[in-house]
Amino acid sequence: MKVFAGHLPGLSRDDVEWREATFSAWGESVKVMLPVLHEAQARALCADIRAHAGARLKTMEVARIAAAIDAAIARLLDRDHPLRREAERLLPVVTGYDPETVRLGLTSYLKTFRLPQLKRFLAEDFGNPGVLDAFEPTPKGGFVRAYGPELLLHVWAGNVPGLSLWSLICGLLVKAGSVGKLASAEPLMAGWFASLLAEIDPEIGACLAIVWWKGGDAAAADIFLHEADTVMAYGSNATLAGLRARLPVTTRFLPHGHKIGFGMIGREALDSRKAAAVARLAACDVIRYEQQGCYSPQMIFVERGGPVSPAGFARHLGHELAAAASRHPRRRLSAGDAGAVAAWRNAQELQALDGAATVLGGPGDPWSIVHVESPEPLHPSGLYRTLKLVAVDSLEEVPALVGRFRHFLQTAGVAASPERLHRLAALLGAVGVTRVAALGGMTSPEAGWHHDGRFSLLDLVTMTEIERGAELAAEGFAPYVD
Amino acid sequence: MQDEIIRELLAFIDLSDADEAAFEALALKIFAYQFRLNEPYRKFAVRRGRTPLTVRRWRDIPAVPINAFKELTLSCCPAEAAERVFMTSGTTQGVSGRSYHPTLAVYDASMLVHFRQRFMRGRERIRMGILFPDETAIPNSSLAHYLALALRECGTQDSAIYIGADGLDTDRLFAALERAQAQGEPYALLGASYAFVPLLDALAAQGRRFSLPEGSRILDTGGYKGQSRALALDDFYDGLSAAFGVPRSACINMYGMTELSSQLYDDGNAVCPSVKSGPHWMRTRVVDPLSGEDVPEGEIGVIVHHDLAHFNAVAALLTEDAGRIVPGGFHLLGRVDEAAAHGCSVAVAEFIAAAKGQGA
Repeated sequence: MKVFAGHLPGLSRDDVEWREATFSAWGESVKVMLPVLHEAQARALCADIRAHAGARLKTMEVARIAAAIDAAIARLLDRDHPLRREAERLLPVVTGYDPETVRLGLTSYLKTFRLPQLKRFLAEDFGNPGVLDAFEPTPKGGFVRAYGPELLLHVWAGNVPGLSLWSLICGLLVKAGSVGKLASAEPLMAGWFASLLAEIDPEIGACLAIVWWKGGDAAAADIFLHEADTVMAYGSNATLAGLRARLPVTTRFLPHGHKIGFGMIGREALDSRKAAAVARLAACDVIRYEQQGCYSPQMIFVERGGPVSPAGFARHLGHELAAAASRHPRRRLSAGDAGAVAAWRNAQELQALDGAATVLGGPGDPWSIVHVESPEPLHPSGLYRTLKLVAVDSLEEVPALVGRFRHFLQTAGVAASPERLHRLAALLGAVGVTRVAALGGMTSPEAGWHHDGRFSLLDLVTMTEIERGAELAAEGFAPYVD
Repeated sequence: MQDEIIRELLAFIDLSDADEAAFEALALKIFAYQFRLNEPYRKFAVRRGRTPLTVRRWRDIPAVPINAFKELTLSCCPAEAAERVFMTSGTTQGVSGRSYHPTLAVYDASMLVHFRQRFMRGRERIRMGILFPDETAIPNSSLAHYLALALRECGTQDSAIYIGADGLDTDRLFAALERAQAQGEPYALLGASYAFVPLLDALAAQGRRFSLPEGSRILDTGGYKGQSRALALDDFYDGLSAAFGVPRSACINMYGMTELSSQLYDDGNAVCPSVKSGPHWMRTRVVDPLSGEDVPEGEIGVIVHHDLAHFNAVAALLTEDAGRIVPGGFHLLGRVDEAAAHGCSVAVAEFIAAAKGQGA
């Protein structure tokens, strides 16, 4: 099976050099052809995108763009659409996530980009989204209009399916000409979405390109980095530092580094009736994307004092992970991944020797839980359903255990009463947590969320203001002036 | 009990070879000994459901992950009763792994018997140049002790150490090499792999090369450890061969670790990766790191060494090295890759580095 990745308006398949990447999982393999552009091609492509966006996208009403996105998303949500079928078939092979996780994940993710959600999205950042189309009056007097970048470069990373759509859609909504660099670990979704858009509204399709270069190929990256006026990038801090170092100082850089998520379960959620249900929700967050999302839980803090003890909850969770293994099997791990899981397990087992920890799940099980009774600071897991449960006397202790990793914090999944939810959220926000989610919903951020606490659309635009004074002064030059 | 184990081990090492049954008998006996006297290991084994009562085959003796040597005191004798403690050079988190030796008699016998077999190859003594600090400078280094032993027991009078307080004494070493070349006497260069790299660079800078007499040989060990730039194996051995006139087949790599009492060697590096093997009191397995089960011959897994000579600590060691079993031994394929971040959750290495950076 061979598929071509990317979206290169104005270039035919024969014009481009392709590099083959092979992915295997679930007993299948797929060859993905990745475009490698020559310098001249890359420069011409950037110039074209910029020009098309200036001539077309910038003059369109945002409603037309949102409608086109909505139509493309509707097709991707339609399980009978050929592209959706292709996505369900190929993404598990490319990313290694189990087919059911990919299917459910796609649907819950894509539905946050339907028209009503896009409108919410716009309203979230712009009190009056009309500022994207025209100068609108402001309360202080005068008028204001928002302009998106002429050329927005996205540098995607990671294998979470469709992650790229997030920033791509943000860019379109602010009418930016967009060039996206595919993540080598999931090089398909962005190209599919761009092609769908081009089919639905060719004028919009001409304003975005999906490209690829080999990670670390500084020369190839530099061409795009210098053409763009805004760069939104994902990856490790080392990757981001490398990109930032090569950017002109005038380029706006919007980095999204890797993050760590965690869960918190209050004693009020731990009675004999609720504990099993809470464990099911936590298991869902762990299984979805094998803890590899920035929002995935790596550790769960469990409060003592409820009818079900932290040790009891650990057993509930173990039961849920074991039960879910047939519906959501864990892929056969690569040597490196198996090594990481084994290293994590070995470290926990050593800790367990002096009774400080209890390990649940055997080496042959596709999950492991370790439960400790003394407080421990936040730490990444071994991924692939390896989770540490830390018992605490009070959830109020948790901010101190996670706060030293402020720059890595993002999502906290909380199961607690309404009053405590708000009290804890205040403490968590103060130490750097930017998203408090329901347990079970950690991997599905709501439409219009503030990714890493930032304004997804507002961060992209610049505002042009007509001051009140300019307006008044203009009156003096009107043809009807007395 | 300890004396009896030592006596048996010394006799075992002295045998010319050992079949599977003999190895297994002693392995089970040493497992029972370590189970009884090494408390953390006993707990570890019990957790795995492996006790002297349930284990019947040496392959079922539980292998301790190498990290355990950092976290636990793995010793059958009281730690303070050890004649010597070997420590790993600080690794990722600045904690050293420790191996306690109540006596070095077994370590020394193991080292010498196998070293003579694999490196000396029938020669009684050879003129040696050592590219590693002296044992007195770093008494907790097992490699320093190993090389001191090699020098004392197998080196000629005019052998010398060329790394001192001021680093590598290139001039003195080159003079010694000149002399060996002029006299037509075989020469042996031994040292850490990373110590050879600046030597190769210095020779290249001077446009100089040696042509050491036939029978000369080189022993490198330990990889680069970030101490020098890293070279691909073929480039490294091509470089050595060209710089010193020693054929790649006489460039021997020793694979050893602080957490063992024996070493493994290849029979030269004419072809890389070379086939490595240990002595008859040692077995090497390649396992699936999760299940601990042997992977089929030829498939890549994680290396487990079972070194009977490491009687005071733990004989069965789960390394972090990747390898595969091949006819005659195994291929060492470097460290098991640290799993890179696939998604967007922060990777352990990045997290630890950041935590250290802020003094956490």
